[in-house]
Amino acid sequence: MHDPDAEDVAKAGRGDRDAAARLIARHSAKLLTVAGRMLSSRAEAEDAVQEVFLRLWTHAGRWRPGSAKFETWLYRVMLNQCYDRLRRRPTQPLEEAAEVADEAALPGVGLDDGQMGREIARALETLPERQKAAILLCHFKECGNIEAAEIMGLSVEALESLLARGRRALRAQLQHLKGFAGDGP
Amino acid sequence: MTDESSDRTFADRALKRLPAEVPPPGFEAALLAAYDAWHARRPQGRWAALGAGLRQFSESIWPGAPAWAPASAFAFALLLGAGLGVTLPSVLADEQPTFSLEQPAAFSLSAADAAQEDM
Repeated sequence: MHDPDAEDVAKAGRGDRDAAARLIARHSAKLLTVAGRMLSSRAEAEDAVQEVFLRLWTHAGRWRPGSAKFETWLYRVMLNQCYDRLRRRPTQPLEEAAEVADEAALPGVGLDDGQMGREIARALETLPERQKAAILLCHFKECGNIEAAEIMGLSVEALESLLARGRRALRAQLQHLKGFAGDGP
Repeated sequence: MTDESSDRTFADRALKRLPAEVPPPGFEAALLAAYDAWHARRPQGRWAALGAGLRQFSESIWPGAPAWAPASAFAFALLLGAGLGVTLPSVLADEQPTFSLEQPAAFSLSAADAAQEDM
């Protein structure tokens, strides 16, 4: 299997700054997008991506291209970073959680793009972390199911089940957005 | 369209409505500066190689996790194994029927013996 990153990883491990810059340019934006949606916090996502790249530099010299692609390892490290950060967060009090998820209070019609985006982001935020990760990998990283399953350390069937449940939950949460383009084909 | 594929279409369209995340200016430069800093303080020598080997081992167990996580899992497994190894033999030994050659047997194989004991 050809791994487009393998050569740059090895070079970066030996101190080649240009190779490091190429890896950063290739991966940082997408990692930041997925981490940002996972953590719902821009600052925390930036910290997480910094940490992922530090781990990359630490391990780059010993990277051996094998059966797994480098990118798979990179995203797995990023997801573990996100899971750790989510679990370290204090539990939200019930009253606050209820305020956030109060769908009945939402107008449903006449939302502008910004409001619509915030509604969707909020619905995504309420998904269980593994369902959210599966959806984000498939949508924002444009992973196939096999690659996403490999990143998450799951079987393809388990990933498909997470995806199906996550999408169903997302739809149920956003059903109140009338006139939303997802209703039709 | 099945429920699953219509859920998928709905989710795809919803996620496309999310505002695009653009990395802040200077983000790539900050990552590259972190690379430079890492490269400048990279340790050399035998201890560095040992540390790197341990980190690699821990990374193969749990990629991306802090070092204490696999170390704790290993320590817990070691303690559990050692605890079972110490306590289980004595617990099993207590459950064995005991006997001594200095005491008469508490059972008889023949009815005659039983009769003799009655007299």
